[in-house]
Amino acid sequence: MKSRAATIARYTLLEALRTRLPAIVLIVLALTVAAGFFVEQIAVTEGVRFRTGFYAAAARWATVFIVALHVIAAVAREFDDKVLDVLLALDLPRSHYVLGRLAGFAAVAAIIAAVACVPLAWSVSAGALAQWGTSLAVELAIVAALALFCAITFTQLVPAAGFVAAFYILARALTAMRLISANPISGADVLSHQVMGVVVEGLALILPGLESWTKTDWLVNQPAAWATLAVIVAQGALYIALLAGAAMFDLHRKNF
Amino acid sequence: MKNERPISQVPRPVLALLALTLCLQIGWQASQSRPVARADALEAPPAPPVLRALSLGEPIALAQLMTLYLQAFDNQPGISIPFMELDYAQVTQWLDAILELNPAGQYPLLMASQLYGQVPDEAKARQMCDFVYRQFLRDPDRRWRWLAHCAIIVKHRLKDPQLALSYAEAITREARHASNWARQMRIFMLEDLGEREAATVLLGGLLATGEVTDPKELHFLTERLKKLQGDEKPSPATRN
Repeated sequence: MKSRAATIARYTLLEALRTRLPAIVLIVLALTVAAGFFVEQIAVTEGVRFRTGFYAAAARWATVFIVALHVIAAVAREFDDKVLDVLLALDLPRSHYVLGRLAGFAAVAAIIAAVACVPLAWSVSAGALAQWGTSLAVELAIVAALALFCAITFTQLVPAAGFVAAFYILARALTAMRLISANPISGADVLSHQVMGVVVEGLALILPGLESWTKTDWLVNQPAAWATLAVIVAQGALYIALLAGAAMFDLHRKNF
Repeated sequence: MKNERPISQVPRPVLALLALTLCLQIGWQASQSRPVARADALEAPPAPPVLRALSLGEPIALAQLMTLYLQAFDNQPGISIPFMELDYAQVTQWLDAILELNPAGQYPLLMASQLYGQVPDEAKARQMCDFVYRQFLRDPDRRWRWLAHCAIIVKHRLKDPQLALSYAEAITREARHASNWARQMRIFMLEDLGEREAATVLLGGLLATGEVTDPKELHFLTERLKKLQGDEKPSPATRN
C-alpha cells in the first residue's frame, strides 16, 4: 500500500518537472533577483541589505503563489479529466491518494524553496540562509497541503485559489489583527467589537502564525534561534497533518 | 446522485487523525502567549512616495491600515506607560506619513492631541502640539479643533501661556471657517480659567455645535467630557 502512495508521489514530482513549473519558477526568481539589483542600485546606502530584503520578501510571496496555483491546477485537472475516477476505480484507498499527492507536492515545495535560496547564498551567512530556507520549505508545504485540501473540497480553480489566498493573508496578518482588536481606545464594551474579538481569537486558534516564519529579519539583521526553527518545523508538521486529515475526510465523503 | 457520502463512510483512522490534529493545533495555539506590542518594535515608516507606490492606488485604505497599526503600539492597558515608551520622532513620522496619504483624515490629529499629547512628559507633549500646529497650518479650516485642544494642553499642562495664546491667535487668524467660540478662544486663554474648565468649554463647544458627527468620536469625546466634569479634584488655577 505504501508503494502506491510513493508511486503517486513520484508521478506528482514528474508532473511538476514535465509541466512548465520549473521554467516558471526560474523565470520568476530571475525577475525577482533582477528587481533586487535594481533596488540595490537606487539605494544610497545599505545596498546589499536592500537587495537581500527585497528579494527575500518578494520570493516568499512569489513562491507561495506559484505553489498554490500549481497544486490547485493539478488536482482540478484530475477532477475535470476524470483521472481521479479512474484511479479510484483501481485498488487504491482514497487516503493513499491524498498521502501520495501530499508527499509529492511537499517535495516540489522543498525543491522550490531550495532554488529560492540560491540567489541569497552569496550575500547572507549559511546559518541564516538554512533557517530561512527551511522555514520557507515548511511554509510552502503548508500552502501545498492547504491548496490540495481546497482543490479536493471545491474542485474548481477560482474558489480554491480564493480560499488559499484569504487563508494565507489572514495567517500573515493575524497577530496585527489581534493587537489591533485587543484594546480599542473606545467602544470596547460594544457587542459587535466583542464578537469580532472572539472571532479573531478563535481564528488564532485554528490558523498558523505565519507572520513569524521565514522572516527577512533573519537574513539582514540576526539569525533566529534554532529553537524557533524547531518550533516552526513541529508546528508545520502538525498543521500539514491536520490539512491532510481534512483533505482525506472530504475526499472520502465525495461521490464520483 | 448525492454529491456527498455520509460521514460513516469515512474510515475511523481518518476521523481520528482529523480530530487529534485539530485538538493538538488548538491546544498548541492556546498555549502560546498572546501577542504584545513592544514600543521598540515601532520603526520609521517608509517614505511617502514609497507608501504611495505600495498603496496600489488606494492611499486612503493604506493610511487607515497604518493608523490601526500605529494604534496597536500604544493601545495597551495602562495607557500612559506605553505612550511614554514610544519614540515620538518615529510616531511623528508615522502620523505625518498617514496625513500625507490621506490629508482629509482627522484620526492622526486626534491621536496626536488627545492621546500622545497627554503623556506626563513635557518634551513629548510639546512635540505632539508642534506636530498639530504644523499640520494645522496646512489645512486650518479642517484641523482647527485639534489645535484648540493643544492650546489647552500647552496653557495648563506645559504652563506656557504665550504659546497657547499663539495657537489661539492662529486659529482666529487662519481658520476662517472655524466656529465662533473657537475663533474667540483667545479670550478665555487670557482669562484665568482652570484646565478642567477650559477643556470642558472646548469639548462642550465641540459637542454642542454639532462639529462632531461620527458616533464613535462623539462617544469618545463625550466620555472625556464626562470624566472631566466628574473629576472631583479641583485643578489649580493658573496665573497669566
